[in-house]
Amino acid sequence: MTTSQSSSRFFKVFVPAMLTYIASTAGISALTNEIDLPAYILYVVMLIPIGAVFAAFWAQLRFALELDEFLRLIQVKGTFIGIAVVMIIASGWGQLERVSDIPRFQVFWLLPIFWSVQGLATTFISKREGVF
Amino acid sequence: MKNHLKALRAERAWSQTTLGEQLDVSRQTINAIEAGRYDPSLPLAFKIAELFEMYIEEIFDNSE
Repeated sequence: MTTSQSSSRFFKVFVPAMLTYIASTAGISALTNEIDLPAYILYVVMLIPIGAVFAAFWAQLRFALELDEFLRLIQVKGTFIGIAVVMIIASGWGQLERVSDIPRFQVFWLLPIFWSVQGLATTFISKREGVF
Repeated sequence: MKNHLKALRAERAWSQTTLGEQLDVSRQTINAIEAGRYDPSLPLAFKIAELFEMYIEEIFDNSE
């Protein structure tokens, strides 16, 4: 399989998954503002964005596995940087929340931060390595 | 690691894409190996050696 075929397969899952995630997250927020839903309904409804996130990560893993070893290494490096940034923010802010009165940080934001950093890091490394 | 991949490819008048197709890797990977920015895995190095009918150490130079 060529790199462009792998990219195409990745975006065909990743884009709908992220659109589903954004739409369902916004929909659930709007719904809970209007109606007081019982907890068990919320748990069931939350399976939609969670499923979308699962699909996005599955697409990312499949994409990395389909690439050749050099391009896969770039994906792994970008993903590692994304994880590192998320962990640094989560643990750093978490420590501050434990010992001080700073505003609470919603862990919801860690996912968009991860994807943004992963995307930027992968693009930067690809450029540096002469991929494009 | 230095290597003679570019010269070997040029001798056969292959493009990076052509060589990549024969090795089942991308053009970018061939470019990175030729430029010395990436050292291939042992299986890929064996594949390259097999394709050019040479020993690995005749293509890749591990000396500093």
